[in-house]
Amino acid sequence: MVMTQYGIKYAVHIMTAHFGNLVAKVCETLLRKGPLTLRLLIRFTELTPSQVNNSLLILIQHNCVQAFTDVTEGEFGDAPKDDTLYLALFSNILHRMRFSKFVAIASQKLGQDKNCQELLEGLLQNGRLSMEQLVERAESSGRAGNHPISDVVHDSLFKLLNAHFVERCPAPEPTLSPKVEEPPPRKRGAKAAKISEVPETLEQRLIEAARPVEVLRFSMGDTNPEAEKSEHHSQISGQKRKHDDLEIAQDSGDADGPILWRANYDEFIRCLRHKACIEHVRSQFDDGVVNVLSAILEATRSSEKIVKTEITVPLSLDNIYEEVMKNEVGRSMTLDRVEASLAALGCPGMDDYKINLRRIIEQAQTDEVESIVLKRYGRDAYRMFRFLSKTGGLVETEKISDSSFVDKNEAPKILYRLWKDEYLYMEKVALTVPRHSLCLLWRVDRYNLWEHVLDEMYHASLNLQLRLAHEIEENKELLSLPKDNNNKPLVKKMHHFENVRNLLRSSLVKLDDALMLFHDF
Amino acid sequence: MRKSEGPSSLKRKRPDLGTKNSSGGALIGQEKVLYDLICSKQSMGICTFDMKRETKFAESVVTKSLKSLQTKGLIKIVQHYQNKGKKFYLSNDFEPAKELTGGNWYRDGELDKDYINTLKQVCARMIQRKKLMTIEGIVESFKQSGAFKVELSREQIEEIVNALVLDNQVMEVKSSGFGEFEFIPIGKICYKYCTQGGGLKGEPKTGAMASIPCGVCPRITYCTPNGIISPATCVYYTKWLDF
Repeated sequence: MVMTQYGIKYAVHIMTAHFGNLVAKVCETLLRKGPLTLRLLIRFTELTPSQVNNSLLILIQHNCVQAFTDVTEGEFGDAPKDDTLYLALFSNILHRMRFSKFVAIASQKLGQDKNCQELLEGLLQNGRLSMEQLVERAESSGRAGNHPISDVVHDSLFKLLNAHFVERCPAPEPTLSPKVEEPPPRKRGAKAAKISEVPETLEQRLIEAARPVEVLRFSMGDTNPEAEKSEHHSQISGQKRKHDDLEIAQDSGDADGPILWRANYDEFIRCLRHKACIEHVRSQFDDGVVNVLSAILEATRSSEKIVKTEITVPLSLDNIYEEVMKNEVGRSMTLDRVEASLAALGCPGMDDYKINLRRIIEQAQTDEVESIVLKRYGRDAYRMFRFLSKTGGLVETEKISDSSFVDKNEAPKILYRLWKDEYLYMEKVALTVPRHSLCLLWRVDRYNLWEHVLDEMYHASLNLQLRLAHEIEENKELLSLPKDNNNKPLVKKMHHFENVRNLLRSSLVKLDDALMLFHDF
Repeated sequence: MRKSEGPSSLKRKRPDLGTKNSSGGALIGQEKVLYDLICSKQSMGICTFDMKRETKFAESVVTKSLKSLQTKGLIKIVQHYQNKGKKFYLSNDFEPAKELTGGNWYRDGELDKDYINTLKQVCARMIQRKKLMTIEGIVESFKQSGAFKVELSREQIEEIVNALVLDNQVMEVKSSGFGEFEFIPIGKICYKYCTQGGGLKGEPKTGAMASIPCGVCPRITYCTPNGIISPATCVYYTKWLDF
């Protein structure tokens, strides 16, 4: 989904809060103007070259900007020109608000491993770190117990890499040719070709081009025996590759200097997507269905190549049952119940069962939009909107009011309000038979509406942040008060402020989930 | 313009015609013309304006004849549901069409919301009790309950169930033939009560956006960080955070 106006404003606000005005200005220029060369960036921002340079370094360090070489064909027989351009990575900027969620996921999946958690936190806070820097950080925190610090860091990193929570940094400056490239050789084979998609946006193309090959991406180092394990892991996941590819990648990638590590946002987003699917199913079905879905997602996780996997890889009933049994709650389920749960999830499979995750996500998105319609425009509007949403096509006013039990005098007014706020699409049709009249047809235009809702959500997130900043500013003196204060009115005020802060923060977290639903899933 | 000239010129002529033909019998003739016209329109009825245009009778004649026909119990007046001032005349032999009344669910030109809500509640309770029902089952339950004096058609019950689906109180599911659908043929549409997703009393779950002031704000398009409407000074926020 595209960046909207408020999306950019929100991203700039995040950057200002985290890195100050200069970096935010550079980032904003890149977000608004698209990829730029250093020269143009300096001209547009009207900052000094060193200021722009430093800002770019910060942005690259924190994975918010990716540099690339753009090869343009020379005119009139000249040699091809290559420029270094900088592209702001919008999604990565928004991910900065999700760091606490990422840490929580990692700590849950890795069994509350404190060392892993600390290492991940370090990477999230600092953007990119080398092994040496990671060890230095661990040393300064002094939490290693009896083991040598470097071993502890090594083990933690290995665990995080195995879980794909951490990855090697992408190539610093990949070359992007003007035409859409042929898929790299590693994507040979019918199976891989089916899974891989041609990236749509420049951002996606660039990320794809800069990303180290799968084997290298999650391996500690080429001399390391663990690399073999990791390779074995990715072979299981259906991406067989030859050793030649490894060499190619080393040549093109980070051959110079120490290997830099960073958090793999994709993996966290994938986990959050699974969680969102499960939560949505939980709101509709019983625990049995939830268990079956969780089991399938767990079993097919390693085969997922992209974050937005539409349909899970086929699994047989026996495989699913086996996976369900691993779970404590699942052990009480009979095979019949598992089959019924699969049917409830919309799996018509006879031998192989596949779950359409895209549909679950779409339903969750629809629920979110409908809930806004209900709150903002009332129950009658909610029914009409749902009717139009279900029908899909253009429907005339009278039919809408008839089907949704809304008074025929009220229906046009409500529909007009929804149309005015861009929640509906309207088309006028002039009728000549039986008499001259104007007929209004209405439709839910999903694509535009989703974008509109997303923009409103960015706006709302920005507002929540600004209000939170305002509340903190207003109650600054309360924060400096000692905790054992006996002044009753002051204590009451402090409690109120804390409640306000918690409410705003929790709302932000929830709204961010909804944002991901529309932007990342 | 011309329309106003027409009746006035007729106005002078017609009474003469009437008196010429017979004493009092002419009025019956005009009444008959009007009555035939009204009958020909069947359930759609006709308004006085169209009557005057089609018969070219004077307004007073039309008014008088209509009154007479009404007292004889031959015709009735029906108000248009969208335009209360517009009266339509119908033969007593016909029931007003959907276009005039608004449909089955309209009473006196207004949607009978109380009646519909009662029906919806009864229907929702039926489905809630049985957990899963087919439309035939619901129709049968309505018949057996005998709670309503007027018998509802299958179409009407279907409309009520569909409204419950739109309210998100009831879910439309296809039978898979096993589990809870054991006794229902595969592929048959069934209705299931939303127990969890529906939340309290069928209220759908409030989304993240809908639970903050911006989600329901009618002025969100006018709101800017340092504008007249801004999050720092927003009254909706102040109200929301005042607990």
